[in-house]
Amino acid sequence: MANQVYDVIVIGTGAGGGMAIKTLCEAGLKVCALNAGRRLNPEKDFRNHRMPWEMKFRGFGDPEKKAESVGFMDSEWVEGVWEHELTFTTAPGSVWFWPRCNAVGGKTNFWGRSSARFGDIDFRAASLDGVDVDWPLTYEEIAPYYSRTERMIGVSSSVQNRPSNPDGEYLPPFNFRCLDHILQKGAEKVGVPYLHDRISQLTENHEGYPQCHFCGACTTGCDTGSFFSTPWRFLPKAEATKNLELRTDALAKNVLVDENGKAKGVAYIDRKTKQDVEVYGKAVVVAASCIESTHIMLNSKSRQWPTGIANSSGQLGRNLCDHLYGESASGYLPQLLGQPPFPDGVGDNTIVWMPRWQNLKNPREEKFIRGYSVYPGGGCSEYPWYATQAEGFGSAYKREVKRRYPTPVSFTIQAPSLPQDTNFVDIDPIVKDVYGIPAVRIHFQWDENVLKMWEHSKQVCADVIRAAGGVYEDSGESPEIPGWSLHEVGTCRMGNDPKHFVTNRFGQTHDVSNLYVCDASVFLNPTDKTTTISIMAFTLRTCEHMIENFRTGVHKRA
Amino acid sequence: MAGQGFQRREILRIMSMAAVASHFPGFTTWCFAQAHPGSAGPQNIKPAKYTPLFFAAEEYPIVERLAEIIIPTDQTPGAREAGVAEFVDFMVAHDKDRKFPFRLGLGWLNAHSDHLFGKHFLQLTPEQQVSLLEPLAYKAKYRDGEEEGRQFFEKFKELTVMGFYSSEIGYKEIQNPALKFYAESPACPHTEDPEHKHLPAPKW
Repeated sequence: MANQVYDVIVIGTGAGGGMAIKTLCEAGLKVCALNAGRRLNPEKDFRNHRMPWEMKFRGFGDPEKKAESVGFMDSEWVEGVWEHELTFTTAPGSVWFWPRCNAVGGKTNFWGRSSARFGDIDFRAASLDGVDVDWPLTYEEIAPYYSRTERMIGVSSSVQNRPSNPDGEYLPPFNFRCLDHILQKGAEKVGVPYLHDRISQLTENHEGYPQCHFCGACTTGCDTGSFFSTPWRFLPKAEATKNLELRTDALAKNVLVDENGKAKGVAYIDRKTKQDVEVYGKAVVVAASCIESTHIMLNSKSRQWPTGIANSSGQLGRNLCDHLYGESASGYLPQLLGQPPFPDGVGDNTIVWMPRWQNLKNPREEKFIRGYSVYPGGGCSEYPWYATQAEGFGSAYKREVKRRYPTPVSFTIQAPSLPQDTNFVDIDPIVKDVYGIPAVRIHFQWDENVLKMWEHSKQVCADVIRAAGGVYEDSGESPEIPGWSLHEVGTCRMGNDPKHFVTNRFGQTHDVSNLYVCDASVFLNPTDKTTTISIMAFTLRTCEHMIENFRTGVHKRA
Repeated sequence: MAGQGFQRREILRIMSMAAVASHFPGFTTWCFAQAHPGSAGPQNIKPAKYTPLFFAAEEYPIVERLAEIIIPTDQTPGAREAGVAEFVDFMVAHDKDRKFPFRLGLGWLNAHSDHLFGKHFLQLTPEQQVSLLEPLAYKAKYRDGEEEGRQFFEKFKELTVMGFYSSEIGYKEIQNPALKFYAESPACPHTEDPEHKHLPAPKW
């Protein structure tokens, strides 16, 4: 096995890596997949309907470990799947929050499941408002890949006839809750959309997987595979072909090159034995998530690629963008005070969204360019978070907590930052991780445009609450820390000109024809939509391009 | 697995609960009084007397009393039945940032009680206890010189609320929908009244 050469080495097993592994294996290529962490056992590693009183710390987590937690998903319910060992740094003046799921399947195990398509309003945004550059492809070209991805994974939504968020092929939507009907009326009065989200969560049995049982604990892992994750949906299909070798605890260090500067394999560290290992392939797919893929490529220095592999443009690591998240408004709906509880939390709060409504008719009608979306949520959540804040004690207090249970509402903004010269990643000149790998360093600050969106959203969302007859209480003082959304993009942008872009329109690097990038780093900017389904649709297209290159002999089989 | 039924999951769930209970032989009310309906085992185990992990023998009854005042037993069970004092003790025992403030806070409470009534907190009548706590809990009743007490009460209430509403009794108190599974995406039953202006009178 030591000298075996595979057709393709895939680094990462998340949305991009998972789709790549499945597509390539089904095409008959021999694939070796590297994953930095272990394989999960859903029966043991997920929440699996355990109630808080069955948990040592009631699901709140060990207070002594709070300082090292990487966020709400790094919880007592799913332990040992988030990266705590590998260091990264931030430049002075920058902050970055970077939860990395190193388990097989990556963040698809716990993702938010919102699955809207990008549209021409996103791909052609630069032509419309004159800022930055267009994407090197049209909606018409990518639409069939979205359709195929939607059919594979199952997405629930409704047809909405808005070209700015194109309709896909959907299972029936989640039903509106009481709070949705009320807030929709408010949104109508304010003149903003309030619609079904596109959710990768099954409202019907689909492709052999059972429909959702609406337990509402999605971000602690699904025990029935009723929402898409690589381990549930793609790995079994890839493994059935017998073309896959999956190596776990394999931390990729760098891409290896031959004397012509082409990729010939990957060097990794076996985290169990701490040994350096090399694995060889005719082509390499980097799909380790935006920043980590870039980190690996920047660390892939050679005689031919002194500043990192496929970086002749100098653009590798540049253009880091993220979704600004934050609580634009919160309050409560007095109409529902004292009403019997309703299972509002069954979709883990991704039932509805307010897709971008700004700058649609005229790209310059607002004080900012482009646009943002908003996710409304609320109602009876599993834990009544407002109870700590509610004043007083005793029977009156106890009754008030019960009366308020169905009423809370809140709005979360999802707003795209724009590429800035000052937002990028590079290699820290000093710091190395425990394996001696030079650490990635992140430079990032919110830009003025995205902060204008944040201010704008506070006003609109407060208006929606009031117009719905609700009581507006509060808006987040500041947005969440950069990185919070887990939607970072842009560090290996795709484009036609090799001087300005890392990959071509197929995600194949301009410089190294057998090196492909299959994650959100190829996106030009975040748009107002989430990244996961687009990672999968773009990866499907990239892999079919690669398969064609194997068929026509551009890449030789192993 | 796709074919894994609820029955199997339910068995796993109960097994995991029993496993947790056995990790904490000290717990009585918290684990054993809250066995999932339908699980035969744990309910039959007789609770032993709880030995606090952190609080001293003279402190723990104050913890119990405070929890009970914050979430009392009235028409429905309260903090006492839900074993909240045990949870508070457990969490403080596992949190170096809480240990000192809680010990100090309980000391403040007794000293303040001595100052106002010439007796320790537990010797006061229930009405006197409430009258001591109200100025710590309601903005309109705040008094100068009680800042430390207000901070302690806020911290104590936070753990009490966490302990209660994460217990099965707390779930039942607010009729937490997470106690059930749903065969279909639950739908609002008032679609003829989208603004929800004509709902039945509040239930509570």
